[in-house]
Amino acid sequence: MKELIVLTFAVPLLMAFLLPTISRVSFTLSKLIAPLVLLALAIMVVCIWNFHTETFVLHIGNFIGPQGIVFYVDRLALLFAFAIFAMTLLMWPWYFEKDESSDTRTRKLSLTLLLVAASAGMSLSGDIFNLYVFYELLAVASYGLIAAGNKKPAGNSYAAAFRYLMISALGSVFALLGIALIYFQTGTLNLAHLSEMKELLNNPAGLIAFVFILLGFGVKAELFPVNSWVPEAYMASSKRVAGLLAGLVSKLAVLVIIKALVLIYPQDEARQLLLFLGIAGVIVGEFSAMKAQDMTRMLSWSSIAQLGLVFIAFSIPGKAGMLAGLAVALHHLISKPAMFLIAERWGGSLQNLKGRAQSSPIMAALLILFALSMVGIPPLPGFWVKFLLLSGLSAQQAWLAIAVVLIMTVVETNYLYRVISSLYSRDEQQSVTSRHRTADTFSALILAGVLIFVSVQVQTVGQALDEIAQDAVDVKSYIDLSLGGGS
Amino acid sequence: MFDIASILFAGATGLLVIGIGGMVLSEHLYRMLLALAIAEAGANLMLVLAGFKWSASAPIITVSVESIPAMVDPVPQAMVLTAIVIGVGVQALALTMIIRIRNAYGTLNMREVKLKMEQEFADMADLPIETRSVPARNDQS
Repeated sequence: MKELIVLTFAVPLLMAFLLPTISRVSFTLSKLIAPLVLLALAIMVVCIWNFHTETFVLHIGNFIGPQGIVFYVDRLALLFAFAIFAMTLLMWPWYFEKDESSDTRTRKLSLTLLLVAASAGMSLSGDIFNLYVFYELLAVASYGLIAAGNKKPAGNSYAAAFRYLMISALGSVFALLGIALIYFQTGTLNLAHLSEMKELLNNPAGLIAFVFILLGFGVKAELFPVNSWVPEAYMASSKRVAGLLAGLVSKLAVLVIIKALVLIYPQDEARQLLLFLGIAGVIVGEFSAMKAQDMTRMLSWSSIAQLGLVFIAFSIPGKAGMLAGLAVALHHLISKPAMFLIAERWGGSLQNLKGRAQSSPIMAALLILFALSMVGIPPLPGFWVKFLLLSGLSAQQAWLAIAVVLIMTVVETNYLYRVISSLYSRDEQQSVTSRHRTADTFSALILAGVLIFVSVQVQTVGQALDEIAQDAVDVKSYIDLSLGGGS
Repeated sequence: MFDIASILFAGATGLLVIGIGGMVLSEHLYRMLLALAIAEAGANLMLVLAGFKWSASAPIITVSVESIPAMVDPVPQAMVLTAIVIGVGVQALALTMIIRIRNAYGTLNMREVKLKMEQEFADMADLPIETRSVPARNDQS
C-alpha cells in the first residue's frame, strides 16, 4: 500500500507523455482517459489516508539514510496530494476552441498532467534537490499553459509567458545558488539530515542561502519582490489555468518554503524576513487590487495579497503559526480558483459588469459568498481563518502585522463591494451577456459546497487541521522517520 | 599568489553578477536570454565547486576497494548535470517564445513588447490604454 504513493506522480508523468500517442489513435479516448486517471489517483490518495493513519517514509530503491531519494508522506503531504488531484479535476480544460487542432488540444492536456505530476512530487519529496527538479518541471508546464493563451495563443500570451519565464529562471538560479551554499556548508541535501545539522547553517552564509531559496521558490508563491509576472500571466492565460496557478501551484511553492523554515531555519531572522515580505505583499497587493479596473487583474492582485497573509501566518513560530498558515492557505486554495471561474465570463472592465447579476444570478450569488468569506464574515471559514491568524499574531505581540491585516481587510472589502454593487446595479443599456459555461458553474458550485461544508463542520475540520499542524511541526519524528529504517 | 579554487570561486561569482545584471538591465529579449545562460553557468560552477576537493581523484573505483584514495564528492556533479539539462530545456523554450513574440509583434525590445502586450490586454478588457502616469478613474457606483 505504501509504495502506491509513488504512483501519484509517476502515473500523471507517464500519461503526459503517452497522451500524444493515444490521441493519434483517438482524441476522444485521450480526452476521457486523463481525467479518469486523475480521479483514480484522488481515490487512491483517500484510501492511503484511511489505511495509513501514521506518517510513513518511502526510501526509493531501499537506500536508507541521507543518500537515497526519500518521500516523506505525512497528513500534510497527503492532503496536498488530494487537493492537487481534486483541484485539477475541477479546473480541467474541458473546453476547446472550435478551430483548435487536436494536436493543440492534446498538448494542453499533456501540460496539465505534467503540472499535476510535478505538483504531486513537490508535495511528497523530502530532499531539496528533488524539490528543485520537480519545481522546474512545474515551471515548464506552467510556461506552456500560459503561452497557450486565453482563447488561442497570441502575442500577449507569448510575451507574458516569456516575462514569467525570465523571472522564474532568475529565481531558479537563486534557488540553485542557495542549494550550493547549503551543500557547501553541510554536505547534504536531505531535509531530515539538514535538520540534524541546522546549527551549521545558523550563520550569515546559512541565512543568505535561506534568502536565495526564499527568492527562488517565492517566484511561484507570488512572494513580494518577485511577483510582477502575476497579473500579466493571469490576464494572458485562460481563467482555469490562472485559477490553478493562483490556487494550487502557489501553495506548493509555499509548502517548500515552510519545510525549509520548520526543519532547517528555526531562527528568528528567517521568520522576521518572511513576516516583512508578507506584509509588503499584502499592502502592495490590496492597494493594486483596489486600483485595478478589470476583474482578472483585481483577482490577481488580491491573490498576491492573500499569499502575503499566508506568509505572515507562517512567520508565527510553532504550531499556532503552522495552523494559521495552513488555514489561510487552504482557504485561498478553495476560494481563489472559484473566483477565477466566476471571472471567466466577467473578465472585462469592471464598468461592464453593471447589471450582470440579472443574467447569471447563480454566479453572482457565488461571488458574494466567496467575497464574504475572503473578507471574513463570521459563519464562513474566512472568519475562522482570520481569527486564527490574528490570535496567533497577538500572542506574538506583532501589533504592526495585526494593524496591517485589519486595515487591508477594509481595503479588500472596499473593492469587493464595488464589484458586487455594480453587479446588482440597474443598468438601462444591457450589454451583450455571455452565459457562464456549465462546467464553470458546476466547479464553482462544488467549491462553494466545500466552503459551506467547512463552515457547518468547522469544529471537525478545525480539529483535523490542528492534528495535521501538530504533525507538521514535529521535527524530531521527521528526522527519526527519514533517517531511521523507514517504518 | 592566488590558488586556483579562489580564482574559480571569483569566476563563478563574476558570471553570476554579469548574468543577473544583464537580465535585469538589458532591454533586448535575446540578450536577456544570453544573460540567463551566463547566470546559470555561474550557479552551476558554484555548485560543482561546493563539493570539489583538489587533492582527490575522480569518484571511480579503479583499484581494490581497500585502498581507495580520497575521492571527489560525485553528488554535486550529478546535480549540476541535472541542472544543466533543465537549463538547456528552459533556454530552448525561451528561444521558441522569442521567435513567436517576434512573429507577433515584430520587435524584440522589452519595453515595446510590454507596451503592445498591455495594449492587447486593454483591448481584451475593453478598457482605455493603461499608462502609469494616468491616475485610476474614480467613478464608482
